Amino acid sequence: LPEIRSYAPGIYARSEELVQATRDLDRGRATEEAVEERRESDLRSFLDAQREAGLDYLSDGLLNWQDIFRPFDEAARGLEPGPLTRFLNTNTFYRAPAVTGEAPKLVEPLGEPYFRIGDLPRNRWVATLPSPHALAVSASGELEPRAVAEGVLGPQVRWLAGNGCAMVVLQETALFGGRIDVYPLSDALDALQSPLPVALQLPFGDSGDVLGELVELDVEALGVDFYATDLEALPRPFPKTLLAGVVDARNSLLEEPEALADLGQQLLEELEGELHLVPNGDLQFVPEKIARQKVLRLGEAAKVLKEEQ
Amino acid sequence: VTEIRFVTREIGSLAKPGWRVKAIAGRPVEEGDAEDARRWGERLGVEGVEELTELLSKGQDFTDEEKQRIRDYAALYGIRLLERAGLDVVYDGEQRRSEMYDHAVRHAKGFATRGTVRSFDNKYYTKAAVVERPLVEKAYDLEEFEFVRSHTDRTVKVPFTGAYTIVDWSYDEHYARDGALLGSAAQRAQARRDFGLDVARDVVRPNVAGLVEAGAGWVQIDEPAATTRPDEVPLVVEAFNATREDVDARASMHICFSDYNSLFPNIEALDDCYELQLEFANRDSRELGTKARPGYDVLKKFAESAWDGKIGLGVIDIHTNFIEPPELVRDRILYAARVLGPDRIEVNTDCGLRTRTWEVSLEKLKNMVEGARLAEKELNGSS
Repeated sequence: LPEIRSYAPGIYARSEELVQATRDLDRGRATEEAVEERRESDLRSFLDAQREAGLDYLSDGLLNWQDIFRPFDEAARGLEPGPLTRFLNTNTFYRAPAVTGEAPKLVEPLGEPYFRIGDLPRNRWVATLPSPHALAVSASGELEPRAVAEGVLGPQVRWLAGNGCAMVVLQETALFGGRIDVYPLSDALDALQSPLPVALQLPFGDSGDVLGELVELDVEALGVDFYATDLEALPRPFPKTLLAGVVDARNSLLEEPEALADLGQQLLEELEGELHLVPNGDLQFVPEKIARQKVLRLGEAAKVLKEEQ
Repeated sequence: VTEIRFVTREIGSLAKPGWRVKAIAGRPVEEGDAEDARRWGERLGVEGVEELTELLSKGQDFTDEEKQRIRDYAALYGIRLLERAGLDVVYDGEQRRSEMYDHAVRHAKGFATRGTVRSFDNKYYTKAAVVERPLVEKAYDLEEFEFVRSHTDRTVKVPFTGAYTIVDWSYDEHYARDGALLGSAAQRAQARRDFGLDVARDVVRPNVAGLVEAGAGWVQIDEPAATTRPDEVPLVVEAFNATREDVDARASMHICFSDYNSLFPNIEALDDCYELQLEFANRDSRELGTKARPGYDVLKKFAESAWDGKIGLGVIDIHTNFIEPPELVRDRILYAARVLGPDRIEVNTDCGLRTRTWEVSLEKLKNMVEGARLAEKELNGSS
């Protein structure tokens, strides 16, 4: 029987207290130390929620990432934070990576505090990175996805492999809106040379048009948002591990674990690989109290599904 | 030959002064806050500064009536700041509103607050869920509009949060309750359309219509979320048209930080949209005297479109304290005038200035006006 796992990759929601602390910091009413203390508390709370939910892989929630690209804009030669730009499909912004002219190259891989390896169980945690294609397409200026993979994300993935990470989820946000030339993505994934299993997740969008091509990519898993993608669009049999986005990180409506387990059961019948239950994108898009409930329900759904096997 | 003159205005919000925020929030108003009110009041020529500073000297425990007077003063300061900058068209800097989304949904039945989410960096907004069919029974911005109208002789443009943005920024616990997971694409699209048109007709339009009935001549529908989901741009247009239906006033739409490519060809279906006020400066270079203006490249598509309304040209970046020199504003306007023709251009900031200090906002706006005058001189042949 296919393996069933559950986890919550991506940027997690900030608590109301952390929100207030960062607001106070910006207004000169709080210190960096006070914010870090609050962030630590949020991290503990998120880790506790994942353990309580029984998730198979833990995540650190990227609580100090200002957006999915920013740490790399700041840590790589040839890139810098550029203009504020709206993300498709969420009411949020990111600083478009601005190309300075030099070939992009990570000065050194990001460690603490961007990846909280000291707080995560060795070989049982999942890291989230931007896909090299998404970073390149989202950049301000010409940037080759392959160059991003070779110079920036490849070194990072290898560092993660040496630091107890079990798998990497690449967020691919740039394959919607008619951009369905998969070759640059495929080329970049080849250049990544990842020693870790790689999942390519398409958060918050209908991936039905590209799934047929994506299954040919050299990745272990693909992530599909089932709040935007019809089940019928799934190639059958599905030859890879499926990250099934069954918890809606864009809506406050709480899912019923039994309904998620039912969907999981249907999916299992179509799969050749493993079934991983995940949110359909970053849980930062719902308030933390709701995000926590969704994590618990995700874990409950996986538990029900495992018991049914 | 008629001389070219570019109409100038802000988009909507200004920062709220500390004395207004603290007094309304029930926090102590300190001596420095009152001094700030005096200094700005004198600088802007606001009438009644003495009365305000005396009121603020109470420090705390303001009564509801006192809070109302403080809100009135904040609105008056906003109007005077925009007038002092030299704008042709003004409002009150949205001094009475909490935030554009929150202001709209808190006045409507059918929404429930769910908590805070991040917009970017350490900026957040409060997000609500629609829990039943939403409804606004009567116009709620009347007092705000009537105050502005009675305190300025400039043209007044009233900003309203657009229906599509309200939909896109809300959680949906009502329309999407059935069929969210494993529903068909058609079901999901229908739920969004039902939500969007209900908000346009029953939430935004009652407020717009009430103000127009009270004399508002220009309504600006703010749709910053317009291109968030490119396949839903037709719904943005449909919601604008539904909002505008039977409203006898000039109507325009503001969109910002968006991919304008997805507006085409959908905007051709807009009903009587006087203008699109758009952000460009944020994505432009600061170079002077250059022929290339990367932030304004997309104007070529507007020039080719069958939609022939005006463009409210964003020439001031609202996310930076960089004070655009008038010459940079001039260059941006001249570039746009070459692409679209000067008759299609009016001049504004990229978006509301609420994240900038009044000092920065005033300097930016003054330079915007001065830059518009420089562009006019160049085009009218008197430079």
